[in-house]
Amino acid sequence: MKVSGYQMFWLISISSLIVFSFLPMHLAVEQARQDGWISILLGGMIMLAATWITLRVCMQNKDKTLVGFVNDLLGTVLGKIVVVFYFLLWFTQMATIVRGMAEFQNLVMLHNTPMVLILLCMLFLVAYAVYRGGIIAVSRCAEIIGPLFVLLLYVQLFLNPQDMDVKRVLPIYADSGWLAILTGTLHSFNYMVDPSIVLMLFFFAENKRTASRAIMWGTAVAMLWGVLATLVLVFVTGPRIAAELVVPVYSLTKFVSILNFVQNIDAFYIPFWLFGAFIKLSVGLFILSYGISEWTGFKNWRLIAWLAAVACLAFVLFSAHRIELSNTLKNAYLIGLVYPALYIVLPLILWMLGSLRRRRKTTNAA
Amino acid sequence: MIRFLLRTSVLMLLAGAASGCTDFIEPNQLAFVMGTAVDHADDGEIEVSHQIVIPTQKSGPFGGSGDSDSFVVMSAKGKNVFEAIHKVQKKMTRRLMPSHRQLIAISEQYFQKDDVSTLFDKLNRDPANNLRDITVLVKGDLAKNFLLLDHPMEHLSSIATGKEMEINGMNRFSTRQFIIDSLSEGTRPLVPVLQIEQVKVRSKETGPIAALSGFAALNKKLKIAGFLNDAEGAGAVWMSGKGTFHAITLPWKNGKDTLSFRLTHLRRRIDSADDHDPQRIVLTVMAQAYLLENTTSLDLSETHYMLEVQKYMNDKIREDLQLTMDKVQEWGSDVFGIGEYLHRSSPYWWKSQKDDWDHKFKALDVTVRSNVQLRSVGASGTSFN
Repeated sequence: MKVSGYQMFWLISISSLIVFSFLPMHLAVEQARQDGWISILLGGMIMLAATWITLRVCMQNKDKTLVGFVNDLLGTVLGKIVVVFYFLLWFTQMATIVRGMAEFQNLVMLHNTPMVLILLCMLFLVAYAVYRGGIIAVSRCAEIIGPLFVLLLYVQLFLNPQDMDVKRVLPIYADSGWLAILTGTLHSFNYMVDPSIVLMLFFFAENKRTASRAIMWGTAVAMLWGVLATLVLVFVTGPRIAAELVVPVYSLTKFVSILNFVQNIDAFYIPFWLFGAFIKLSVGLFILSYGISEWTGFKNWRLIAWLAAVACLAFVLFSAHRIELSNTLKNAYLIGLVYPALYIVLPLILWMLGSLRRRRKTTNAA
Repeated sequence: MIRFLLRTSVLMLLAGAASGCTDFIEPNQLAFVMGTAVDHADDGEIEVSHQIVIPTQKSGPFGGSGDSDSFVVMSAKGKNVFEAIHKVQKKMTRRLMPSHRQLIAISEQYFQKDDVSTLFDKLNRDPANNLRDITVLVKGDLAKNFLLLDHPMEHLSSIATGKEMEINGMNRFSTRQFIIDSLSEGTRPLVPVLQIEQVKVRSKETGPIAALSGFAALNKKLKIAGFLNDAEGAGAVWMSGKGTFHAITLPWKNGKDTLSFRLTHLRRRIDSADDHDPQRIVLTVMAQAYLLENTTSLDLSETHYMLEVQKYMNDKIREDLQLTMDKVQEWGSDVFGIGEYLHRSSPYWWKSQKDDWDHKFKALDVTVRSNVQLRSVGASGTSFN
């Protein structure tokens, strides 16, 4: 199974944009008001750096996935334990995305459709794509969906020219101050992109050099969109409304009115968002099931994919009944400890260990 | 064979679910809400009325069964917006669909007796609403009565008012703008005011028509601070940066003749006075003027007359707008967004001043300046008389 650099770009940019359009803007603007874009920009730079570090780790271990090289670097026992945390992360991420998708459908369009039906449709499709073609099927879908999805998200930002007032972003800094801006960053940066999927995906890249470039570009495209979207949001709604909007990107599409004729285009955007969510979920399911198969030594990862999808469905249905379980976005332990550890600290440790080992090898050889 | 059956059954199940059959509503099961009215009701309740199109009765502007059949107004009382709307829904055979609403009318009485800000939550929270519709105030009558009116040209009074605002260049009074203004600390909302007038539209027919009759300035608590008439209102709209075009007629120096201008490209700029004192504000209005009627004997193809007219026009505009400014300042309602300007230009000073801005706005020294350019004197030089 090989993925080209071009496909890698779309896989990463779609995965990042889906999370980006879903969570962090609200979390940042809520804290920093009209300076939310600074929070997003800072968070974006942190995540770009995290992606870069992750890529260093991957370049050192080109011939193995995360499960393989963690064992080499940290030893079998510790390695296995660390990987379990990544599995949990990907699993909860899938659950968050798929639940967010289903709840949103219930809120906006399908008021009476049972949630389980929406979940079933999506998860069946995702599991089927992974089952039939693995990462190849997913990346080919991404190649088709990607350009449309990314273009539409960018176009959407410029459909509100008559309602934009650039001055609404002023005064910069004075109203919020560093504390609010940094709190906004802290709350949001973990939800911007997910560099940890690169740890698995990179193994499948055809050409490692072009793939690493594609991954950086894919992340940067999502970052740029996030900063622009936050700015546009403040331009259109002003800081006070922006802080209250839970699904700001959707609300932006509701405001669009071109010549009093093109209106209510949200019906057009929701399907594309669903396409994107499909890619994100498939990538998540694939790396999760492939990782588990390597971890356990049980070769049939296709079967694991089905089981993981069922487990995800069960978890979402279970957590939907417990509001405290499904609203952990601002949990201090998660955003302050768990996510940064998995996204930044661990890759950093792996990178240092890898460099040390390489240096020792060269000195030994000499 | 078993495999085939299994596959087919899964596909059938998915086809049912994927097409959203459980939420299946045909367009002929929808009731399009074009206007909504909010009125005060006793016992702390609120009365919400929806103006709903009857699609089967709706015909083109010429012929057909007449305008009076093309809509119904359904209303109900409730403790909040949702309860009232839900009661309306219960009386309906079709699902209410507010996505295409043109206008929200709130009665003067509701502004006085209730808290308008409580309406926003429902508007913002429920994704079925768009915030593109216009918010207007109905003066001297129930907002519901406005919805009940017929209009001689249009099918619905709410569409008529929407078009009237649009065609006269007032397209910055959406509900979204209203909410932004009312939430910001340094701007107060300026709301278009409708009044129901008796108008003779045909030789045998005199009927009530709702016409735009000015603007209302609101204070921090969204109570009405005062009403501006049509001319003052247009000036206030210009000074608050929400105008697009405007027309004025000025008496010439001899007091008998008049000059009329069309003003386009309306803009305004707020500055602190030369010494950067935030207490002294200069508001400059800018526009391009086109002379469209001239009953004086001036030959405006002559440059020095053009300059004289331009200077005179600017002086008059400045005087008029300063009067409006002083009037609004007395009410303590900063509809011009001067507070917001100060918020942006001197944010730290603003932090200590923003409390009780309505009161401080009264004491502010605001000077209006006018910088209108005479662009064209029209298609003829001297007047024909």
